[in-house]
Amino acid sequence: MASPEILAIEQLSLHFGGLTVLDQISLSVRPGELLALIGPNGAGKTSVLNCISGLYRPSQGRILYEGAEITGLAPHRAAEIGIARTFQHGGLFPQLTVRENLLVGRHCHIRSNAFLDGLFLGPAKRMEIAERALVEEVIEFVELERYRNQRIAGLPFGLQKVVGFARALAMAPKLMLLDEPSAGLNREEKENLARFILRIKHEKNLPMIWVEHDMQMVADLADRIYVLDYGGYITDGAPEDVLSDPKVIEIYLGRQGKAN
Amino acid sequence: MAQASGYFKTSYGQELRLIETTTQKVALAAFVVVLLVYPFFAKPFFLDLANQVFLAVIAASALMLLTGFAGQISLGHAGLLAAGAFTTGILYKEVGAPFWVTLPASAVVGALLGLVFGLPSLRLKGLYLAVTTLALHFIVAYAGGEYETKRGYSTGVSVSPPSLFGFELTQGRHWYFVLLAFDVLVVLFCLNLVRSRTGRSFIAIRDHDTVAEALGIPVKRTKLLAFVISSVLTTLTGSLLAYYQGFVTIQAFTIYLTIEYVAMVIIGGSGSMLGAILGAVFVVLFPHVIEAAIRLVPASRHLVNDAFAINFAAFGLIMVLFLIFEPLGLVGIWRRLRDYFLLWPFRQTAVGKGG
Repeated sequence: MASPEILAIEQLSLHFGGLTVLDQISLSVRPGELLALIGPNGAGKTSVLNCISGLYRPSQGRILYEGAEITGLAPHRAAEIGIARTFQHGGLFPQLTVRENLLVGRHCHIRSNAFLDGLFLGPAKRMEIAERALVEEVIEFVELERYRNQRIAGLPFGLQKVVGFARALAMAPKLMLLDEPSAGLNREEKENLARFILRIKHEKNLPMIWVEHDMQMVADLADRIYVLDYGGYITDGAPEDVLSDPKVIEIYLGRQGKAN
Repeated sequence: MAQASGYFKTSYGQELRLIETTTQKVALAAFVVVLLVYPFFAKPFFLDLANQVFLAVIAASALMLLTGFAGQISLGHAGLLAAGAFTTGILYKEVGAPFWVTLPASAVVGALLGLVFGLPSLRLKGLYLAVTTLALHFIVAYAGGEYETKRGYSTGVSVSPPSLFGFELTQGRHWYFVLLAFDVLVVLFCLNLVRSRTGRSFIAIRDHDTVAEALGIPVKRTKLLAFVISSVLTTLTGSLLAYYQGFVTIQAFTIYLTIEYVAMVIIGGSGSMLGAILGAVFVVLFPHVIEAAIRLVPASRHLVNDAFAINFAAFGLIMVLFLIFEPLGLVGIWRRLRDYFLLWPFRQTAVGKGG
């Protein structure tokens, strides 16, 4: 089936007991598109990402990836078919170095098994060396050269977020899910992140779903914005249209009082 | 002659090396020489101690992989050792199986037990998992006890020394070299695992299992893999132990033995292969050091009867002290000493202690 979309979500609902987290959500991502997913706290943005990457099993609806249904796929399978993601709080392995964290991201691409690893022979050794060269390219891309051999436990939070982003990039994904990559970053770090996101978009043409709270960044970078509130669809479209939409302003700023 | 201004890595292969500097090479070579010469000078008692350390190193490495790296707590270690020892004892007694049959058979039993008792880890974590692995201990202890009583080996199953290529392993010195060879192979295997894909996946599921899964690591399969590798190495140790001691009795595999192995991981330093080795050396030698210390005390004759109690108490105390003051274990102490001498005469401050 030829599909213009890399990812299509159809009528997706998610319930936790009696709580409706997502209600009949439909969205799609086109090749090379940077789709920003916005909405107030608790709107269900991260839940959408969790459904796509397989961490949550939706109650209803379908998720199509490259035209094939992947609803309810195990998370490690989703990673294998090219869906990479970052985590809101970094989700890094604190005892490993920056480079080792990125190498964990290469897990699916390394063809080896425990026996060969234990003997460190043939493919196991060759791939370990080749993968280090590949990971080094990503380290250079996100300008983390100085920190490559440092443990995560000693790194400031801003850098940890960049490492999390680099790790997702190291997976050589076909679809990237970014969960609030700029949260907790200072001005300069945000500018760096914006630069990395734009470079990936332009150099690799990688489609991304980007959950974000920084409206300025979203307005400047996103191709399209999708707005969620209380698990339901509000609107979507070009940044300038969406951000001037009265419904969106109402969600973020509240209704204007009648007394005025 | 040109002098290097530092130690620089110029290739990715270089970074993966287990031995990095010339100093390390020289130190290791010296250590190997000491190990090779030791049995020709040591008295039988000290030879036996070394052999016990060697056996402990294999099983401690196995537990280190499972608990220290993959983060799965197991209290079934003595049970697995017993399973290996009894597989060997039973096969020897019932069908007269040779060394080359009993050893792989023990490994197979270990793989199966690891698979079965790894299954609860897919659902349970921490203390709850520990309790299910305790079940393994009691099941093996029960089965071993039943075999002993049913077949009338109430004092234990005796096993004759094995022969390798027509050479009978009777003397402590022979055993020393065989066990040393096993240790080298097992430690190298574990070090290789830890520096490659499998080891990274173990650490990933230990620190963040949901993240690991989203990065493409099949968490369930990886947990079972850790259980199977660890169990196989442990039952192999059990098999070697049976041959080395010449008899197998279930009374030797108490819950206290499990605690000793957990102590090796904690005291040695969790998450480090060097820690497994240091921990094994420490825990095996500790009671003998305490005994020697008691003998030094004047009027120690009254204390000799209490040596056991003093040993237990001192062991418990050491465990508590390590947990409170040195969570990184002996490896932590070793690293601090090494850094101190590397940086001398500059003082190292508390900054950057996390490394």
